[in-house]
Amino acid sequence: MATVKTIAIVGATENIGSAIARILAKLNYRLLLMSGDQAKLKALKEELEKLEPKAGIDIVGCAKEASWEADIIIIATPYEAHKEVAEKIQEVATGKIVISVSNPINSNYGRVVPSANTSAAEELQKMLPYSKVVKTFNTQLASKYISAAFSDQTRDVFIAGNNSDAVTTVFELLHVAGFHPIISGDLSVSRTLERLQLSIQNQMPGAL
Amino acid sequence: MHEQLIKSIQDKITLSPEEIEKVKHFYIPKKIRKRQYLLNAGDVCQYIAFVEKGLLRSFTVDNDGGEHVIQFALEGWLIGDMSSFLSGDEATYNIEALEDAELLLLSKPSMEDMLHTVPKMETYFRILMQNHIVALNRRVISSMSDTAEQKYLKLMNNCPGIVNRASQQNIASFLGITPETLSRIRKQVAQK
Ligand SMILES: NC(=O)c1ccc[n+]([C@@H]2O[C@H](COP(=O)([O-])OP(=O)(O)OC[C@H]3O[C@@H](n4cnc5c(N)ncnc54)[C@H](OP(=O)(O)O)[C@@H]3O)[C@@H](O)[C@H]2O)c1
Repeated sequence: MATVKTIAIVGATENIGSAIARILAKLNYRLLLMSGDQAKLKALKEELEKLEPKAGIDIVGCAKEASWEADIIIIATPYEAHKEVAEKIQEVATGKIVISVSNPINSNYGRVVPSANTSAAEELQKMLPYSKVVKTFNTQLASKYISAAFSDQTRDVFIAGNNSDAVTTVFELLHVAGFHPIISGDLSVSRTLERLQLSIQNQMPGAL
Repeated sequence: MHEQLIKSIQDKITLSPEEIEKVKHFYIPKKIRKRQYLLNAGDVCQYIAFVEKGLLRSFTVDNDGGEHVIQFALEGWLIGDMSSFLSGDEATYNIEALEDAELLLLSKPSMEDMLHTVPKMETYFRILMQNHIVALNRRVISSMSDTAEQKYLKLMNNCPGIVNRASQQNIASFLGITPETLSRIRKQVAQK
């Protein structure tokens, strides 16, 4: 039995979380799916196993357990839930890559990161000081990422992060998933990436 | 989550609560499930694993596919392919969880950082290395000169946890005897 990396997706049942699960299920990773909705998780697991019979997929009931078992943690919850999730996982996320896909908007599409001098990813890094936060998968609609990963078209995906090993690992992950990853800079570049999304959202209200 | 590690450290050196906090952050907490592998022969051993909970084994596979158990590790022990970890060469060991396990992983760069930040940890690792060398020597000598029964009795006295928790197959492989011989010895020992 080979060692495979385990990836936890916290908030796996909605748009971007389930899209990432679909994209990763066809690769050589073990996936741990987590959200508050057991029925939806079960349906997602069954759907993924039908598509990828060889995929190793497990449902884990809580964010801490999933993150403890994981090598890489993807937080795909709304930004407003970051604080709660970060508190739960902080202890077990030490030394691990934590991927932030969130854009700092709330359910009414109002901004939640008030200051121009920070970003959702940098705020998450402050909450998880011993983890390696990497920003990615935030500038396109989930459906666009899916169509890119499942067709021949390659699509640019931006990455930002402070730890170069972590950025390289995420780069490789995106590359094998069929994307064209672009390293944009350190984590503060998340400010640009997150605002990029806001402009896209203005063209397609309610999209992201 | 770090109880065993802190105990292992405090048994050997004295750290302040602040130093303990610092040390903790160099270790990656990682759960693995029974039968999952931490390391495959052929890969580079990136981490040494401190066992907070569970039981693991390292083993090699010979050309005929036969497995040879090199080491077991349970709570409070370290496991890894040390030569690969230290040299960066390909590992010759496989490491597998025999029970669901909670580990604390330490990479080489983190270890260097930690020794720099908390120099007292040098002493901790020196003592671990000493113990490792002593254990290794004993194992070599025992495997060359002890009878099967002596080997088994030593294991039972030194590590009753392993005798109770590992399978007959794995214990026999560790002792370099067949499972049949082990079962015969176990019966003899029980009768005495
Ligand atoms: N939609 C897109 O195409 C897209 C693209 C890129 C980035 N994003 C960003 O990704 C984030 C997620 O957006 P989304 O559209 O996928 O869906 P969403 O409706 O915001 O998804 C929320 C997901 O997080 C879970 N969740 C919510 N609160 C949680 C908590 N406290 N602990 C654990 N899990 C929790 C939800 O599960 P339960 O409610 O069942 O617990 C659900 O699985 C947003 O920040 C968004 O800006 C979205």
